[in-house]
Amino acid sequence: MQDCFDHPSPRPVSQLAALLLTAVFVLLMATGGGFAQSVVPPGNAVNLDQTFGPSAPRGTESASDFWRAFRGGDPNDLLRVLPDGRAMTTTGQYWRAFREDYITVKVLWLPAIAIVLLALHQLLRGPMRISAGRSGKTIPRFTLNARVAHWFTAVVFIFLGLSGLTILMARPVLVPLLGNDISSVLVSAALQGHNVFGPLFIFALMWLFVKFIRGNFFQIVDFKWIFKLGGLFGGHVSSSQFNFGEKSWFWMVILLGSVMSVTGLALEFPWLIGDLRLLQASTILHAIGAVALITVSLGHIYVGTIGMEGAIDSMLIGEVDENWAKEHHDLWYEEMTGKSASDPTEDTT
Amino acid sequence: MSEQNKAENRAEIAVAKFLEHTDAEAASFFDACVHCGECAQACHFYLNTGDPKYTPTYKLKPMERAYERHKAPFSTLKRMLGLTPSEVTEQELLEWEPLVYDSCNMCGRCTLVCPMGIDIAGTIRKMREGYAAADMVPEGLKRSAEFVRKTSSPMGVTIKALKAQIAHQEKDTGIPIEIDKHGADYMAIFSSMEIMGYPEVLGAYAKLFKKAGLSWTISSVAYEATNVGVQIGSAPMAKEILQRVVDAAEALEVKHVISPECGHAYGAIRWAGPNLMGRQFKFEVVHIIEVLDRLRREGRIPAGPKDGRRMTLHDPCQIIRRGGLLKEPRSLLDDSCSDFIEMKGSGITNFCCGGGGGVSANPRAEDLKLAAFNSKAAQLDAIEGLEAVVVPCANCRTVFEDGLDDQEMDLEVIGLSELVAQTLADT
Amino acid sequence: MSFLEFVEGPLFLFAAGVFVLASLWRFVGIIRIGRKKDISPPKGSAAGGFIAGNFRHFFPRGIFARRTWLHIVGGYGFHLGLLALVVLGAPHVAFLEDRLFGFGWTPLPRWGFILVADVAFAGLIVLWVRRISDPVMRLISSRADHIGSILIFLVMLTGAFAMQESHDLLRAIHMLMVDIFLIYFPFSRLFHGFTFVLSRGNTGATYGRKGMNL
Repeated sequence: MQDCFDHPSPRPVSQLAALLLTAVFVLLMATGGGFAQSVVPPGNAVNLDQTFGPSAPRGTESASDFWRAFRGGDPNDLLRVLPDGRAMTTTGQYWRAFREDYITVKVLWLPAIAIVLLALHQLLRGPMRISAGRSGKTIPRFTLNARVAHWFTAVVFIFLGLSGLTILMARPVLVPLLGNDISSVLVSAALQGHNVFGPLFIFALMWLFVKFIRGNFFQIVDFKWIFKLGGLFGGHVSSSQFNFGEKSWFWMVILLGSVMSVTGLALEFPWLIGDLRLLQASTILHAIGAVALITVSLGHIYVGTIGMEGAIDSMLIGEVDENWAKEHHDLWYEEMTGKSASDPTEDTT
Repeated sequence: MSEQNKAENRAEIAVAKFLEHTDAEAASFFDACVHCGECAQACHFYLNTGDPKYTPTYKLKPMERAYERHKAPFSTLKRMLGLTPSEVTEQELLEWEPLVYDSCNMCGRCTLVCPMGIDIAGTIRKMREGYAAADMVPEGLKRSAEFVRKTSSPMGVTIKALKAQIAHQEKDTGIPIEIDKHGADYMAIFSSMEIMGYPEVLGAYAKLFKKAGLSWTISSVAYEATNVGVQIGSAPMAKEILQRVVDAAEALEVKHVISPECGHAYGAIRWAGPNLMGRQFKFEVVHIIEVLDRLRREGRIPAGPKDGRRMTLHDPCQIIRRGGLLKEPRSLLDDSCSDFIEMKGSGITNFCCGGGGGVSANPRAEDLKLAAFNSKAAQLDAIEGLEAVVVPCANCRTVFEDGLDDQEMDLEVIGLSELVAQTLADT
Repeated sequence: MSFLEFVEGPLFLFAAGVFVLASLWRFVGIIRIGRKKDISPPKGSAAGGFIAGNFRHFFPRGIFARRTWLHIVGGYGFHLGLLALVVLGAPHVAFLEDRLFGFGWTPLPRWGFILVADVAFAGLIVLWVRRISDPVMRLISSRADHIGSILIFLVMLTGAFAMQESHDLLRAIHMLMVDIFLIYFPFSRLFHGFTFVLSRGNTGATYGRKGMNL
């Protein structure tokens, strides 16, 4: 009966969404250059004409005296001076050096390496199949509200990740590739979008916490799981509703997510903080936390979709195959059904 | 004619009827539904099976599609651009047939949860017109229709059988019941279920009306209130069945026709009746609950000692939610029992018994009906020390008896008129 | 004429025209299908029921609350948030003053704009992820339902992109999405924004005649 009418065939819909999104971005790319002259400075932009400091290097004040005085001064003092229009603070120099040397480019290797490793796993070992095959019988795993909380977080997370990476990669990657004009448009869009979606993540995080805290406390059985590396390389691993990997991911999301929330709020509403050093630290922490979350999320997404047969069901329809439950969450299966997960006399097919 | 052509014709007949019955109201429903799925949360068939196909709005899909393809604004434009849904096929109609007949009581509970206020029950009724016209109707309902053609009663109750039951009740109560009394104020009609299953109701009427000094009668040609035409969804058949009652009442020149404790019968004659006949009646249609409530307020049937058992009231959908008689049964019960307790969700949001809208006359739907009764059983179960449930609908009553039996629950099921008659003051 | 001037000028006027005319056409078209006059003797007022039904269905019933709160919160959040951000967002107030009304009103501050936008986004995302993760919703959702959700999402998203108001291109893309949305609206499921008055009203009228307020 399900196939008679035009149902949400997910593929055409996602294709359409992808098409529309691509159209928006292509338009952006294609016409970005022509719009360069229409760019106006934002209302809160720094006015570069009002410079102070040693604009006349051969004047009365020596440059070294000026810099010495500046370094010893209030860290919140802004120095708008450099010919290319960059502003500085006393601490900003170190912050900028650290950010450009370590954050903006090097940390991006982490998700890249993760992608390669996951691709290798997929190619060499292939996805984890349900070894007993599907039983055709299902047991409920996630309620609708839990599923909605999960997908809500997922949508917000993916969007924040993409826009955040755009911001992070602007100078080292986008400007050389696309030029100043297009990069400027992209970063403006990404930053504003990131600002709008940011608070949603805080909400999502609290929702997720309330919905999934049960079952995510660590247990003795989790240590055995660690020794077998989660069965990624074979061997049976016992676990209850959530295994060690899932629990770690949960706590990582909650803890790192909290850091992201606090630092993100500081960056979005800087007048809440008012101390430049804290804001500088926030950008660094925010970037590191983001890359860590993105890297591990790739593994989460891989195992949840193509990496493990039957896993996606739990989040799409809320039910999982009995044999899947037996193999991956045997203790939870026993708790749910009252049957033994390993007893071959129990008929499950 | 080849099989292929015949098949196409059935689908064409159904679609033509769908379109004929898609009036501005149904169109506004189809064009307002946002597929939010809330209606599933109100439907006892979905709640008790968890099967998404029982989502009420889903049951309307073929009719909605026919509308979108042929009748909706811009449908011509969209058809030219290939944007309309494809034509409804016979195979699809057959797949939907159990959804339309077995899993919808036309109880209208889904309307209450719908943010758009869509009357899905009323639209299912219109949709059944298409199915009836294309002769895609469950066997059970067809059999009822056959009985009606022969005897006027879906259970095949003949006048001989009725007369026997009347005689029995006259003997029990000692009150004569006059048949075909010309010029009586009231003419009572009954559901077959009452006549054969609960004949005490005849005695109750006799006792109450004697007390009230009310002149009433029963017609020997039109005593049947149930209207299988409404259940199947065939306006011509519904009209034919109604015609008998209207003709008899107008021939006897009664002022009122009393609709019995039967859900759909009330809607069929009171609200749909004049529209089916295309004219207003020369008599007023009143429900027995309205009559009793009126007589009670006029002091003509004073209440006596109350029934002390712990009782609750089931709200038959077509009388309460879709019939408009919310307060009357409650005020009667207040006078009749001392330990009355409402069930959770009572009144207009109450659950259907699961057997309305022709489902109980459709043996194919038996399991589904019993499953749907779970919701009712849970409501009853939640009342501590419950001894009896008042069910002012003969059809609901049989469903209750089946359901309670299936659930192994021990509970007495009584009709409202009988209870009022039992608790009538002696003086 | 620049791209921005085109999407804010002629294309916007065209889209707004299509929106108004096609909406009227469809709304009137539905009413013009007509219905047989109900001749059963009424117990109450159908007209009163039409109005009562429209208001009654704004308020969810307590008995269904436990099973439907997510949808109710999401639905109200999305619609009210969208209304607030359209009517009270500073760039929107300026646009409406400039192009339509000739007068403006006090808009929300930046944080208020972000807040109502977040409420709207949260509601919309909840409604949509519910559509993909509930078996009931997966069964009854049609392509049009997804397209409507995605389209309004893109309108809002491109609006968020343009919030710095420093790039004409971003503003132009947002306006283009608005224009597409306006043109698509009257031909689609989005039209429920108008038909709800009729559907609630028609049911309300039926019940009103029976002397009930459902």
